Amino acid sequence: MATIGHNNLNAKLVGPSSLFSISFCFFFLSQSFSIPMMFSPCSFHQVLLGDMGAGKSSLVLRFVKGQFLEFQESTIGAAFFSQTLAVNDATVKFEIWDTAGQERYHSLAPMYYRGAAAAIIVYDITSSDSFTRAKKWVQELQKQGNPNMVMALAGNKADLEDKRKVTAEEARVYAEENGLFFMETSAKTASNVNDIFYEIAKRLPRAQPAQNPAGMVLVDRPAEGTRAASCCS
Amino acid sequence: MYGTKSKIDLAFEYQSQVAVLRPSIHSRRANLTVKFQDLYGFTVEGNVDDVNVLNEVREKVRQQGRVWWALEASKGANWYLQTTIGQGSALTSSLKFSAMANAITLKKLIRKGIPPVLRPKIWFSLSGAAKKKSTVPDSYYDDLTKAVEGKVTPATRQIDHDLPRTFPGHPWLDTPEGHAALRRVLVAYSFRDSDVGYCQGLNYVAALLLLVMKTEEDAFWMLAVLLENVLVNDCYTNNLSGCHVEQRVFKDLLSKKCPRIATHLEALEFDVSLVTTEWFLCLFSKSLPSETALRVWDVIFYEGAKVIFNVALAIFKMKENELVLTHHVGEVINILQMTTHHLFDPDDLLTVAFDKIGSMTTNTISKQRKKQEPEVMKELDQRIRRLNSLRMEDK
Repeated sequence: MATIGHNNLNAKLVGPSSLFSISFCFFFLSQSFSIPMMFSPCSFHQVLLGDMGAGKSSLVLRFVKGQFLEFQESTIGAAFFSQTLAVNDATVKFEIWDTAGQERYHSLAPMYYRGAAAAIIVYDITSSDSFTRAKKWVQELQKQGNPNMVMALAGNKADLEDKRKVTAEEARVYAEENGLFFMETSAKTASNVNDIFYEIAKRLPRAQPAQNPAGMVLVDRPAEGTRAASCCS
Repeated sequence: MYGTKSKIDLAFEYQSQVAVLRPSIHSRRANLTVKFQDLYGFTVEGNVDDVNVLNEVREKVRQQGRVWWALEASKGANWYLQTTIGQGSALTSSLKFSAMANAITLKKLIRKGIPPVLRPKIWFSLSGAAKKKSTVPDSYYDDLTKAVEGKVTPATRQIDHDLPRTFPGHPWLDTPEGHAALRRVLVAYSFRDSDVGYCQGLNYVAALLLLVMKTEEDAFWMLAVLLENVLVNDCYTNNLSGCHVEQRVFKDLLSKKCPRIATHLEALEFDVSLVTTEWFLCLFSKSLPSETALRVWDVIFYEGAKVIFNVALAIFKMKENELVLTHHVGEVINILQMTTHHLFDPDDLLTVAFDKIGSMTTNTISKQRKKQEPEVMKELDQRIRRLNSLRMEDK
């Protein structure tokens, strides 16, 4: 089942919809199961920022498509994804901008974070430089981003424990001091990936209640190999 | 490279390159997604209709090939180099006329596509790469690659990081040999022009140049002519100021050439740069199928950077009726991405780009750039000052 994180969390992925409209999904399902789905999710603009190679694209790809590629194409400018979550009695649609990490692309960043409701600042736990860079992003967003922005700090590549350069404690302290919430993630193993997005969804302004019956899973995430069978894949 | 082969050999090599795609019988029966390799080794996904379009396109390419061979036979191997009219009064009117006729023929021919086998030779001559190379010693590229071997800079570190992330899965680029060739080209250029160094996006451009040009050295010179002569200055330098200028010029042109789309997207608060930045920085190499992207490059190398604007506008124009019905940013992006990824017929795109968008001269674009440049520089300067003041506060 597509439950996010621990089993006691009542959050479900409504449908992987990177680059595809999710409306077809709901039409397809309502036709198949004769369930009326008068349903309008709350849309939130979200941005991922962080150093080149920190794993921003891998995090989004894992969240949206349940995939991990050892070598993910480098992002130029930014890439757009969307994903819908059912959180308790509400539905949240994330419109995610995954930005380029190279320093010279910094000048394009305001275009992507302007008006964003949430941001995930990603660093690589095996690179102290990427943590320093993450702090600069936090500082910039605090001063120039949306004042009500929900900010998360993600210490990615947590599976590379033997190469760790940034301790979880150091990052946690920094996050607490700066009003962010912090999680260590691994796009490779999927550890905490869904959880970080779910935590953001919980902290966003209250979403509209979902119109579908409570607790119903609109689209289960199929196992890796059966992905193509999904109506939205 | 070309002197050793006769035209007949080239023609045969070319014919064998343009294979007919045959999806399996099952995929022909149902409208399933089929995967196949294109001419340059990229895996393409499409339905059977897409395969049929590609086969039609390849047939057109074969016909174009015959036209080029016929011209070579009648006018001589390098006829396309006789397209410039000299300043000297000694030039007879008949020579002037023949040069002009050649230029008109060439422009039309290039817009219809250069046969893949002739691409390296024609690009190298017409882009100015051959001329650029001729101004330095023959050993320039070899000397440069030897001189920089083993040197570590921020640029080389970033290049190394991006090598396996440049068209991963490609049968040649994603091999140790492919990585090494791409690395040498990018590192050499980063030392040739330290203002550019290495900018993400150039990896895709250089990779595609390597696939077309066949030799590293030719790919290097094509990259050099592209960045130094064809594209706007500072497109890839440390704050991408040239890219910002191009985006503003593009928005201006979109308002003029496609007012319905521009007005609608403005109402949605959608900034087209969100999508078009990648088109401009990668010259469509990441967004269009490779055979379509290279048809666009055919024209860029002959007519200049204005072509990027024509093509970008054409992509919007082709989907005008759908775009004006959108309600969300996501829908706009879906339409544009689905369109670019399935643009298997370059003629469709280029017909709109040159016939429906209307002519835009390099001069017009240059004036627009001059108008936008001060505004961009002012904005970037303010931004740097703001960020510096943030850092000062922090200390």
